[in-house]
Amino acid sequence: MNALEIKNLTVDFGDFAIRNLNLDIKKGCVTGLVGRNGAGKSTLIKTIMRQQQATGSILYDGKKFCEHEVEILCETACVFDSPHFTLNAKPKTLKRAFAALYPAFNCDMYDELCAKFALPQDKRISKFSLGMQRKLCIIFALCQSPELLILDEPTSGIDPVDRAEIVTLLQNFMLDENHTILFSTHITEDLDKIADYIVMLDRGRVLLDEDKITLTESYRLVQAPELKEELRAAAIGIRESAFGYTFLTRLPVEGEGLAVTTPTVEQIFIHLSGEAAQR
Amino acid sequence: MRIVISSSSGEPIYEQIKKQIVSQIASGALSPGEALPSIRFTAKELGVGIITVKRAYDDLCAGGWCYSAQGKGVFVSPRKTEAEKKFYEELKERLRDIASYAAESGVGADKLIDILNEIKGE
Repeated sequence: MNALEIKNLTVDFGDFAIRNLNLDIKKGCVTGLVGRNGAGKSTLIKTIMRQQQATGSILYDGKKFCEHEVEILCETACVFDSPHFTLNAKPKTLKRAFAALYPAFNCDMYDELCAKFALPQDKRISKFSLGMQRKLCIIFALCQSPELLILDEPTSGIDPVDRAEIVTLLQNFMLDENHTILFSTHITEDLDKIADYIVMLDRGRVLLDEDKITLTESYRLVQAPELKEELRAAAIGIRESAFGYTFLTRLPVEGEGLAVTTPTVEQIFIHLSGEAAQR
Repeated sequence: MRIVISSSSGEPIYEQIKKQIVSQIASGALSPGEALPSIRFTAKELGVGIITVKRAYDDLCAGGWCYSAQGKGVFVSPRKTEAEKKFYEELKERLRDIASYAAESGVGADKLIDILNEIKGE
């Protein structure tokens, strides 16, 4: 079952484009979207949320947007890279607006979470710190009671304590097996923790789409004092320092002086992006 | 159920979860028939991915430590008594003899199953 089925998606900005992108987002799972600045993460998310014109097709839980618009909009909540509501408002006013707009808006949960994260209800949102604004956006999205939650860089600008709280909130949301999360992030530590699938974007293309276990187990991170020919042939994204080389490989390698470990998502990301940039 | 995860051990997290559950089944801390916490709950409590816990539970089921009841969850398998274990070991040993005897004449496992069915029909 797929929460999203993206086929032949093309967005053209002239100098930057997403071309013929195909991607399935699995229902009931957490998918992490990674990529460098300008890889197309935010554009992809905006396109899914119908805020960006594109050609190709997107199915939402098997349904076409044009035929089930209201249903899809109620079942999908998104936290964009910047707040998508007026910053002049006070949270309590927005709460009334959201409650009127979304029939399933959970006011009790909203009050509880705002109290937990100490977000004042009677203060203009423009007076909030960026971290507080972000938390408020996430709370509004969660309280909309969606099936599909999409977040663009949800934990950027948030301190480690609150980040851990937010990760727990997201995992709470995932207790329901009909729920799906798609989130983009630069903080790969969050991916290492809770993502089930990892999608890497590079200049508008899907560089990699794999479940996290298969991904981390299909690569080895190797540090070698020197790079012999047979190693060079198997090496991906070689990085050189004054004292040796670090690279990824898909092949089992061993040898004197080699340090071979299981890479983190971040290490895979760095080396694969490096390799892609060279091509 | 008690589980601690070490992110520096280099051992995959699903393997760590599996081993700790196995040792708790072996020690009797988890009793036969007892339900394991749901995959999603365990993932949340440990702060790990859903497929990580699913992999651990799948491995436990494949190893016979647990069994999964469709839509109900995963349960600790009933423990085999020493006598049962011994019986199965002996049975396996005899079947191994028969299998190698049959293989010498080019008779494979499929054919052996056919013969067993034939015997049953008599």
